[in-house]
This record gives sequence, structure tokens and C-alpha cells, in this order.
Amino acid sequence: MNFFSVVLRGLWRRPVRTGLTLLGISIGIAAVVALVGISHGFESGWEQGLKQRGTDLVVSNISTALTPKPFAAEMRDRVAKLPEVAATSELLVEITSIESSEMMMISSREWGAFGWQHLKVLSGRLPKDALEPVVVLGQIAAEVLKKKAGDKIQIETEELTVCGIVDGGAVVENGCVILSLELYQKLSGNEGKINVIDVRAVPNLSRDAMRQVCDKINEVIPGVKAMMVSEHLSTSQGYKVIHAMSWGTSSLAILVGVLGVMNTMLMTVFERKQELSILLALGWRRRRIVQMILSESALLGFFGGIVGVGLGALGVKLLQAAPAIRGLLSPEISPGLLLFSVGISIVVGVISGLYPAWRSSRVRPSEALNA
Amino acid sequence: MDSPAAAPTTGRSNGAACIYEATGLVKEFDDGQVHALRGVDFKIDEGEFVAITGPSGCGKSTLLQLLGALDRPSQGVLKYRGQSLGDLKDPSAYRAREIGFIFQAFHLLPTFTALENVQIPMFETSRPLKERREHAAALLASVGLEKRLHHFPGKLSGGERQRIAIARSLANDPSVLLADEPTGNLDSENAHLVLDLLLRLYEERKMTVILITHDPTVAARAKRVLRMKDGRVDTSA
Repeated sequence: MNFFSVVLRGLWRRPVRTGLTLLGISIGIAAVVALVGISHGFESGWEQGLKQRGTDLVVSNISTALTPKPFAAEMRDRVAKLPEVAATSELLVEITSIESSEMMMISSREWGAFGWQHLKVLSGRLPKDALEPVVVLGQIAAEVLKKKAGDKIQIETEELTVCGIVDGGAVVENGCVILSLELYQKLSGNEGKINVIDVRAVPNLSRDAMRQVCDKINEVIPGVKAMMVSEHLSTSQGYKVIHAMSWGTSSLAILVGVLGVMNTMLMTVFERKQELSILLALGWRRRRIVQMILSESALLGFFGGIVGVGLGALGVKLLQAAPAIRGLLSPEISPGLLLFSVGISIVVGVISGLYPAWRSSRVRPSEALNA
Repeated sequence: MDSPAAAPTTGRSNGAACIYEATGLVKEFDDGQVHALRGVDFKIDEGEFVAITGPSGCGKSTLLQLLGALDRPSQGVLKYRGQSLGDLKDPSAYRAREIGFIFQAFHLLPTFTALENVQIPMFETSRPLKERREHAAALLASVGLEKRLHHFPGKLSGGERQRIAIARSLANDPSVLLADEPTGNLDSENAHLVLDLLLRLYEERKMTVILITHDPTVAARAKRVLRMKDGRVDTSA
């Protein structure tokens, strides 16, 4: 019998209470996995979508909202004139409710620009020209809206036809409604307005050179910001708020877990006061008693972490399938996040055990004879 | 119960070295409101079998606590082999290596088997795992429980539990056995068996045994009796 089996046996004394505490901490960890995974996934999904469109730099006014503020389309000409810029594509992007879906991205893009080139038609066809009253749906958006090529779809006040279903190569692309910029500007009353310029740089431009291009764009177009694809979303205030909220909620859930474990370990110490005094009478050092309580607490955290990452991953799968947000989320539950979450859980266990362990060190061995 | 092999005395045997020496031992509780020991003086030699008797509240258990370094005296000195127990920097090392405790209520850990319970004190030694296990099994065999190694205490009789506790007290081969009413929770047959076992171990291992008892028949089997009254050793007995 080694020390680890003594620790395990301590937890096994009250299996129901141990189980419930473990569940409490695992819910906190599941929240971390789910919320942080979604937040990271949103960021990387967005980046992947931009990369699929062949975009190197994004010019937008992304400030406090998830979608950028509109600005005059003429700004594009100033960007296109720069020698490092190979091509540009104007977009007007919005997140809105469409028919049965409460949140869906409308991605209207300049007809004929490179933003259309990567779309693989799965059924139907692409629009014939900029003003044809049709849309194409990413394949996830088609599933969510239950539409196929030839069906009608309500956009703003107009009824348009779904002319095709496409594979855009990324969750964000597949989860949106795509139509010509000119058509959408007209439908939404935003004539002459765009809110994103996708920029494709000349080939073989280094990362540093691209950063310099961003600086140049920022100089020629005041009020908007040019960013590399990888930095685009993370600098958005809206995204920062979501990120902070996900961490805030996770922290709250973890705090509840800490209190749960602390309560359990304190009860354990009070209940086992006699046992602890007997161990001291039998020659155990106080340090070993403290180690035992801390180890039990850390082990509770470890098991809670394992169950928590499982629950979190399951929760994300269920959330991903929910019709309201399907196509907008591509959660990223990386091994790093899972390890990090289990690590947090162990730290939570140890922190929760500190006070109970201190209490355990105050037990007097003479109580063994009084019992 | 059998009559003792030799009549107990209140005096020390001659020739052996002193293992415990108490001088003016006082123990107070609750800021001096309760006087458990009021100036106790005695000597116990190596290899003695001493029974401490006396009415409830006379300070027997308090004295045992001090002998086991579970507590410190309020005043006076209690020396173990010449060293003051009150000055020990690490009383746990003394308890782990020099002392074996036997409790009235056995105090076995209910979630551990007999074999595991006996190994509990061995955590404070450098004995390897395999050796711990073998030593615990040998100790249980020596108290007649070789067929109960993997039983949990809850499945065993009171006598068997106390025999596990005796095996546990021997785990680190201590010099002294301190027993607090070891037969107090047993029927007369099991009390008899446990006392026989203690006497056998005492003879075989040449250790010092100090036991507390109310029972005059148990005290009668000790080699010497210390009678206590009102927090003092009663020298008039």
C-alpha cells in the first residue's frame, strides 16, 4: 500500500459526496472548455474563411460590434493604387436573422472579384451578373434554412431565389448567405457603402512587408484599419468583449467549483478529525497529514478536470448542432486547451485544499485517546 | 482469568536502566481550571510491564498522553532514556519509532484491510513497499490473524480488531507499548486472549509495556502497578 492508495481511499470513504463535488468542479471546467473553445474557434474560423477567400489583408472599421461599420466604397481606389496590392474585393457583411435562423451572416461581395473565385458549386449555379436577384447559400446555411437551389428566400424586404449551394472551404463561408454587393447595397439601402475590403498582396510578400502595407493603408485611409488576416478578429472590440465574457463566465464557474471542493475537504477534515489524530498518534508527521489532504483535493481536481473536459467537448458538440447558431461556430477544442483545463482543475483542487489542509495540521494527536 | 505468574508490586525491579523518569509532572487544561496531574513522580525501567490504575478522572489517560508525547506537561519533566519529552523537536519521530499505541476502541481505519492498517505506521520509515507488506503479514500471523489479512475491520470481531491493533502497534518494532484500556471493549474471553497475547509479546520481545486499566484482574497480571488518585501517584497503596 503506497501513499497514493491512502489518498484514493480517503476520497472513496464518501463516494456520493466525492461524486457530487467532482461533478461541481467538472461543470466549471466544462464551461472553460466550451466557452474558450468557442471563442478560439470563432477566431480561427474567421481567419480560415478569410484565407479561403484568398485574402492577405483586411481593411475595415471593426470597432465595437461584431460586424464593421460601413464606409464609402471609394476608399477602395486608394488601396488598389498601392504597388504591393495585387487585387481587392469589396464586401458589405452583416449578421442578421433570416427566416427561421435567428443569426446568419450575409456576405455580399463585389461581383467578379476574387471573393467569388474559391466557391465550389455543389448544386445549381453562381449568379449570372451583379444585379440578378439571386443568392447562393453556403452548404451549412442551406441545411439550417432548409433550402435548395430554386427555392425562394426572404432578404430584407425582397424575395430572392437561391440559385446555388456552394462549398466555401471554411465554416464561416459555408454558414453564410452570399450575394452580389451591388444587389445587397440596393436591397439594404446602403448604396455606395461597404464595410470590408479584402486585399490580396503581390506574391511572395514577407510578413514584415505586409505589416508595412497595413501602415501605408492606414495612412491613406483615415478612420479604417488595415490588418493581417491573423490579427483581424482579435483586435475587434466586439470580439474582445465576447472573449472577456467567456473567461468571466468560466472564472465564475471555477469559483463555484473551488467553493464546492473547499466545502467538501473541510467537511472531510472535520469528520476525520479522530482519524487524523490517530494517524498523528501512530507517528505520522503533520506534514504528511497536510500532504494527504492536499493530494485528495488535487486528485478531486484532476478527476473533475477529466470529467469536465469530456462534458465540455460534449456540450460544444450539442451547441454546434443547435439551429440558432449552426454555421457561425467552429469550436476549436485543441489538446492544448484540454490539458490547460485539466491543469486549471488541479490548481483549483490544490487551492481549495489549502485551508482544509491547514485545519488538518491543527488537529491534536491527544484527541486519539479522548475519542 | 488466570492468576498472575508473580504477584504485582508497587516497587521497581533492580538492575535495569531507567526508561522513563517523571519529576513533578503537572498537566492543566482550560487555562489552569482543570488539574489533571498535580505533581507526579515515578520511574519505569527498561523491560518493565507496568499497569497504571485508578478511578476515572485520576489522570491515567493524561499520563499516557504525556508518555506517548501526544501532549506536553504544563510543569515538570518527563524523560525518556534521559531526554526530556517536552523538549523533543520532532515528537512524531519518537511516536513512530519508539512507541506502539494500543487504544481501547481499537481505532483501526475502517476503509483499510487488516494488512493495510498494520502498514499505516510504516509510512514514517524507509522500509520498501514489499517489505512493509511482508512485515505486516508476519505481524498479523504472530497475533493469529494470518487468515484475516484482507478483511476489513467492520467484518471482524472485537477481539480480532484488537489483535490487529496490537500488530499495528508493533509495526516499527518499538521499545515501548502504551496501551489504553486494551481490554475495556472486549468480553471476558477476548480480554483474556488479548492480555495473554500482550504478555507473550512482552516476554518474547523484551519490551517495556505500560497499560492503563480499571480492571484489577488485568492489573494483577502486570509486574508492577502504579496507582493513581486525584492526579498523583498514590504511594500509600
